[in-house]
Amino acid sequence: MIFQFLPLLGPAPLLVAAVFGFAAAGPRPRFALAVAEASAVLSMLLALAAAAGLIAGQGLTAAEISSALTGRLDSVSVVMMLLVTFIGWVVVRYSATYLDGEARQGPFTGWLCLTLAAVLFLVTAGNLVQLMLAWIATSLFLHRLLLFYPERVAAQRAARKKFITARMGDIALGVAAFLLILAYGTVDIGAILQDARLGNGGWPAIAAAGCLALAAILKSAQFPTHGWLTEVMEAPTPVSALLHAGVINAGGFLLIRFADVMLLAPGVLAVLVMLGGFTALFGSLVMLTQPAVKTSLAWSTVAQMGFMTLQCGLALFPLALLHIVAHSLYKAHSFLASGGAVDRVAASQRPGPVAIPNARAVGRAFVAALVIYLPVGLLFGLMDKSPQAIALGAMLIFGVAYMLAQGFADAAPRALTRRTAVYALATSIGYFALQTAATWLTRDVLPLTPAPGPLEWALMVLALLSFGLVAIVQAMFPLWAYHPAAAGFRVHLSNGFYANAVFDRMVGGWSARRAS
Amino acid sequence: MSVSQSVTSANLAAIADRAARQVPPVWPLASSVAVNPFLGQTGEDLATAGARLARVAASPVTMPRHWFQTKIAAGDITDDDLAAAWARAPLSLRPANLASLKAAAMMESPAPDAVPTVADLASAASGTDWVGLIADRFGGWAAGYFDEGQALWAAPRDRGAYAAWRAVATHDLTPEIAGLSGFSRHVSDAPETALAAIDRAVARLGLTEAMMDTYFHQLLMSLGGWSQYGRYKLWQAELAGSTDATITDMLAIRLIWEEALFDHHAPQISDGWVKACLRHAAPLVATPDQVVNAILQEASERAAQRGLAATLIAARPDISQTRPALQAVFCIDVRSEVFRRALESLHPQIQTLGFAGFFGLTTAHRRFASDVTELRLPVLLNPGLHSHTGGADMALSDQSARVLARAKRAWGRFKLAAVSSFAFVEATGPVYVGKLFADTLGLHGAAARHDDPAPALDPTPNLATRTKVAETVLRAMSLTRNFARLVVIAGHGSTVVNNPHASGLQCGACGGYSGEVNARLLAQLLNDRAVQDGLRSRGIEIPGDTHFLAGLHDTATDGVTLFPQDDPATSHAADIEQARQWFLTAGALTRAERALRLPRASHAAGVSRRGRDWAETRPEWALAGCSAFIAAPRARTSGKDLAGRAFLHDYDWTQDAGFGVLELILTAPVVVASWINLQYYGSTVSPQVFGGGNKLLHNVVGGIGVFEGNGGLLRAGLPWQSVHDGERLAHEPLRLSVCVEAPQQAITDILARHPAVRALFDNGWLYLFTLDGAGTMSARYEGDLEWSDVRAAPDTQMDMPYRIAV
Repeated sequence: MIFQFLPLLGPAPLLVAAVFGFAAAGPRPRFALAVAEASAVLSMLLALAAAAGLIAGQGLTAAEISSALTGRLDSVSVVMMLLVTFIGWVVVRYSATYLDGEARQGPFTGWLCLTLAAVLFLVTAGNLVQLMLAWIATSLFLHRLLLFYPERVAAQRAARKKFITARMGDIALGVAAFLLILAYGTVDIGAILQDARLGNGGWPAIAAAGCLALAAILKSAQFPTHGWLTEVMEAPTPVSALLHAGVINAGGFLLIRFADVMLLAPGVLAVLVMLGGFTALFGSLVMLTQPAVKTSLAWSTVAQMGFMTLQCGLALFPLALLHIVAHSLYKAHSFLASGGAVDRVAASQRPGPVAIPNARAVGRAFVAALVIYLPVGLLFGLMDKSPQAIALGAMLIFGVAYMLAQGFADAAPRALTRRTAVYALATSIGYFALQTAATWLTRDVLPLTPAPGPLEWALMVLALLSFGLVAIVQAMFPLWAYHPAAAGFRVHLSNGFYANAVFDRMVGGWSARRAS
Repeated sequence: MSVSQSVTSANLAAIADRAARQVPPVWPLASSVAVNPFLGQTGEDLATAGARLARVAASPVTMPRHWFQTKIAAGDITDDDLAAAWARAPLSLRPANLASLKAAAMMESPAPDAVPTVADLASAASGTDWVGLIADRFGGWAAGYFDEGQALWAAPRDRGAYAAWRAVATHDLTPEIAGLSGFSRHVSDAPETALAAIDRAVARLGLTEAMMDTYFHQLLMSLGGWSQYGRYKLWQAELAGSTDATITDMLAIRLIWEEALFDHHAPQISDGWVKACLRHAAPLVATPDQVVNAILQEASERAAQRGLAATLIAARPDISQTRPALQAVFCIDVRSEVFRRALESLHPQIQTLGFAGFFGLTTAHRRFASDVTELRLPVLLNPGLHSHTGGADMALSDQSARVLARAKRAWGRFKLAAVSSFAFVEATGPVYVGKLFADTLGLHGAAARHDDPAPALDPTPNLATRTKVAETVLRAMSLTRNFARLVVIAGHGSTVVNNPHASGLQCGACGGYSGEVNARLLAQLLNDRAVQDGLRSRGIEIPGDTHFLAGLHDTATDGVTLFPQDDPATSHAADIEQARQWFLTAGALTRAERALRLPRASHAAGVSRRGRDWAETRPEWALAGCSAFIAAPRARTSGKDLAGRAFLHDYDWTQDAGFGVLELILTAPVVVASWINLQYYGSTVSPQVFGGGNKLLHNVVGGIGVFEGNGGLLRAGLPWQSVHDGERLAHEPLRLSVCVEAPQQAITDILARHPAVRALFDNGWLYLFTLDGAGTMSARYEGDLEWSDVRAAPDTQMDMPYRIAV
């Protein structure tokens, strides 16, 4: 019985910590910081307890546990709880040292804890009202963190764009909630999902899926609303890490949470495939040109959020959940460790020039990647997977081929070739093992990927072609990137095709009057 | 605007070059060293530099008045200090008397007011933040152009800065989207060369020659650290005997912006622009307020000098002349002072020496399994030696280390590249749970860093050269007799993680690298029997049982790593073990002393963990607080608590025939120390202009520097966290007081021969004192090669002529 309350208890310690944070004036609020870390640890323990409860069974399946108390305990919410509380603890602990000496460290910690608490309420929400409120609260609290240095003009510019985007997202979610109530006559998410899985809901459900998709796109900084995300470096580093604790990826969570509803609207999913796929390629190409480490990481986040959206569009919800977890951990670490960029750049130059693979080496690398992919895939039951999952697996081939190509370059020593091959094998095994685990973990909660129709096939072919093309272009990169013909393209690309500049112009981002 | 006076292009180039030299250079962060931010202003005094920097950058050059007011009220700054400083100020500009000076100190001086640029005027007139947009666009281009390897797709850099920028700016649509229509066309139509572009802009903006000096300086300052990086390129080129146009290219780029904005907004801003031009044309004279600021600054320094004199005069323990139980040579770095004091306190027979941490070996070094040549020497010099780690006998392990590093790099590229980054995340993201745990709890050991094999000179110089080098070094550190059985040569470095400014914590004399390579090379050189034989014939008798041992003092942990494996000496095992114990104890004492200054370090054990904490912005205070430089035998300062604020250089003038060593000290270590001291000074009094910004917002760019936030200007100088602990300054901005135990006349002769060094002292960027044989301050250098007795009461009635033509 107690386990049903865990989703609700999770955020409670953080709310307490927030009170202490706001009450602490001046630099070095030792007590408030100690309370904050203790609360973060306690929240993490509660999440672990929830996980234990879920594993122990308790006879709790997704449908049964959505209690009247609005807490929802299933493998999706538990995974998200674990993720959010873990990164939350890391960020809270990091900030306690990092912000040492800041006059407003107490309030910073307060907003940090409030944001984390709001995200926990969001990911464990059992009804639409709680979901909606937590969704809005998250972005309002985050707004205060983005404006931690309110006098910074660039911070105002980024926060303003974020604010506009977030309010549009709130409206989209609000309309979605209204439509869901209209379609299913309840605010209970469990009931909605159950009904939706039976194919019920009619046009309001399809419209709701569209609004949910829109909210997700706006939340997860999909093109062209990504502008603010690449500018959050105006807030202290831990805020960038915090984004990955269920804030920026809340869009993906929303789609996963309402997977059953989303499946009712294949057209909406198709849009998500196209927009997500475009954002993924766009972001990862822009990232290549970015010379500042945090900016580059932010563009990478844009790209990864696109990939997550693409996975949702392909109805590969378990994989999208896996992606949220994997990416958040990686990116939170990368932001917090971004101060090491000077060392990393220097270290990368020491072992001598990079061996550049020619077209033949790239070709061999793609074949070798396929050779690795097939047996490892078969080992993990490739034949039972949906065509969508197999198509997504091609991304792995493309990626692994890039690594192999570096080892296959003529100038590369044998030992390097061997080593990259081992990495490639390890990557492939890790990839399939994690996918299998994610699918197994959510088997009772998330719907199966439906068999693809003509539209889905067309989209898969399109995605494969475009990703494959970019992969080949990337592998052959040094051979063409410095050609004078590419110089102009590079300029436009490095500016993100000016989507952000246009956004700035529309909202008066460069206004001197507001700045002064 | 009337037609501008014609300026010949040779003249224009000279003016542009002059402006470039007003800007200090900034080294890339991988190997950064402190630079005097007032390097371009050393020819003038503080008040005049204040007038110049106010005009071009709205930069203060002293603390706000209330800072001094507090010190006056507390009695730290006395009336005598004020009177003495006042007496040296220009008669026409200083307050009438002491009372009016003190009254002026009660009022805040007006904020420095820069002349507006065209961009400033256009921003005000149009309501669009052109100043910010220029910084953003220029930073966007420069970050790519100077990138040393952050972006996988680097920007083309096969041509000069001006041409490269034009290629970018003719494509970049951002300015036009923001409202500056036709900007790409404007850039496309600009002249082919930077000088021609400057020429055209000068005509368009109606500039006369008199206006250009401070206007050009201002435009370069408006580019922040970027123009300083351009100045660095020029510095490096000139050191190598060539030249570089990057910084004048930057001036041309900035002028093209001014021109474009002027074309767009001429009707609204031309009145303002005429006024601005007239202000630039006005001669540069300090205002009475700026003079008061400079007087107060000097008074605060005189107050500190009284304290230093009192410390030096205190009774000192007797140093016996018997053979020392241990000799340890450290860098002159102020951090060594604390450690040396602690070490000497352990045993009366422990002797320490201070010498610049590159130990006289100007080596261009390649580390193990590396192709990169690192200049481990003061940046004022060219390398005279070459060395590398891992000789032919280690070719195999060198090769496998390289393969490992290249595989790691391939993995890094896999992580970042388009498409493969998705596979990377899906396959290995969860591994980061472990990394987050380990980094959050600081579980990484920091010890594995100093296990590189011994470095070796390559090519090995012949015996005569080696002997000559050894003799020069030993004489320069005044270590020519009474050698102990064990002599430790201790370089220093700092083991810190996740810190973009880590190289600033390393040894400045080693070019921003840690000092173990130079120490290990010197120990090997001195252990060479053939070299010792050669030294004997030159009058330096090294006993047969003396062994030289290299070490590395980690200033973050105060641990000392020894390198006995370089020259195995079983005969000295006991000595080495004893030394190790002493170093351990001295480290603990040093940490305890440092813990008092560091925030959140209530106990010494907490200190040694700071460097490993990835969230720590203040792993150590580095050279914060530095304010004195003492060149004298250690006996004059031993046992005296100099609080980690003094550079200590061993120097015994009685052994220095011809004063060649003195000349070296005054022209090299003293200058380097002044760069460090003035970097702290500038970053403290003018953090906006000369400071590195807020570490919480740092965004490493190109592997060479940091942005504060998203982008825009490169931030050079020390981060705010490095000079301030959140509640008070960790560095008190005082210009360095140099104390030398040597005959006055010898010092005067050297200054007369080195006008650039003399300018530093004459213009008050450094103070100079002589010490007598008892270590007491005896005379103060008054400028113009004149000295005064330091104990004489300042004569406030006498009007000293203002020393510098303004």
